[in-house]
Amino acid sequence: MTEILRLDVEAAVSELRASGDSARGFLGLDPVTQNDSLLAAELQAVAAQLFSAGEALVGFAPNTDQPRQAYVASTSADPEPLRALLEFLTTYQRCTTFVAVVPADAEGGKAFEACGFERAGVLPQHRWQNYDWQDVLVYVGRADSCRS
Amino acid sequence: MTVRHFTEADIPIRTELLRENKYQTNLNDFAMSADDRALADGMRRTIAEQHHSKRLFTMCGAKGQVVGFSWITSIDWRSQACELSFAVLPRYRSGFGFKAVEAAHEYLREQLHMDVIINQVLSHNTMMLSAAELEANAQVRAEFDSYTVGQWRTACYWTVTRDEVRDRKQRELARRQEIAERVRAGVQELS
Repeated sequence: MTEILRLDVEAAVSELRASGDSARGFLGLDPVTQNDSLLAAELQAVAAQLFSAGEALVGFAPNTDQPRQAYVASTSADPEPLRALLEFLTTYQRCTTFVAVVPADAEGGKAFEACGFERAGVLPQHRWQNYDWQDVLVYVGRADSCRS
Repeated sequence: MTVRHFTEADIPIRTELLRENKYQTNLNDFAMSADDRALADGMRRTIAEQHHSKRLFTMCGAKGQVVGFSWITSIDWRSQACELSFAVLPRYRSGFGFKAVEAAHEYLREQLHMDVIINQVLSHNTMMLSAAELEANAQVRAEFDSYTVGQWRTACYWTVTRDEVRDRKQRELARRQEIAERVRAGVQELS
């Protein structure tokens, strides 16, 4: 099992910045258009927590309207860091479902599919990046089917 | 030339630039009436709080060295419009001015999705554009626009739209392509 290490806000922001393009769209953030202060403010506004797992960065933000659900994100196509995050959320936050909102060509998307998330829908041309509109995919996962 | 977010580490360099003679004549001279701490506090506020109305960027050369700064003000996110300003450090002025303008325009459109960018240049300022170019660009001339270093200055204002930037980029690409083909043809003849 991959170990995940919780990061404080400052460390989380610098990891996001260091992740380059793979952090674009991570929990709705974008290091290209947002400076470090704004990234920190946005993370705090949604009570997000980020974790490092080797080269990858994973994180979640609780859904305040549905305390058993969390929005999750990953910078890596590798499913292992994501599995470790889901395990943590199930064990310590009693989460039963997870939602991921991922730009169509983001690295993280592959990890959700590999973990058994279902693609629930597409938000067509939802984001602006690199001179073009970009589709955003919505993935939904359940704690009982996505952890192992 | 790359554009990155302005950070606290850039504050001393920009403070020095704000006090430079040409900067004051061409942009504004408020730095003469403010101490270093007040200037730094203002920049820190921009970094931390004023994202919605104002943003500061650092322009860097190929080796990552700071070449100058650009900043956008009067941001209207809903209308996708903003006003763009520039200041290049004195030692880089001859080579980097035009490239800095291009890089900033590109970033604002590619990533921030700005559509209309308003340029303002005081009419005596011919550091990046010649007097004739300024005259041709100016859609609006505003007399008594700003008072800098003891004189009233006339300002030229103009907007640049997305289509104009795309056209210019395509022309530039075509020109480079042509040069590359000519070089290739020359090499083949020699070999």
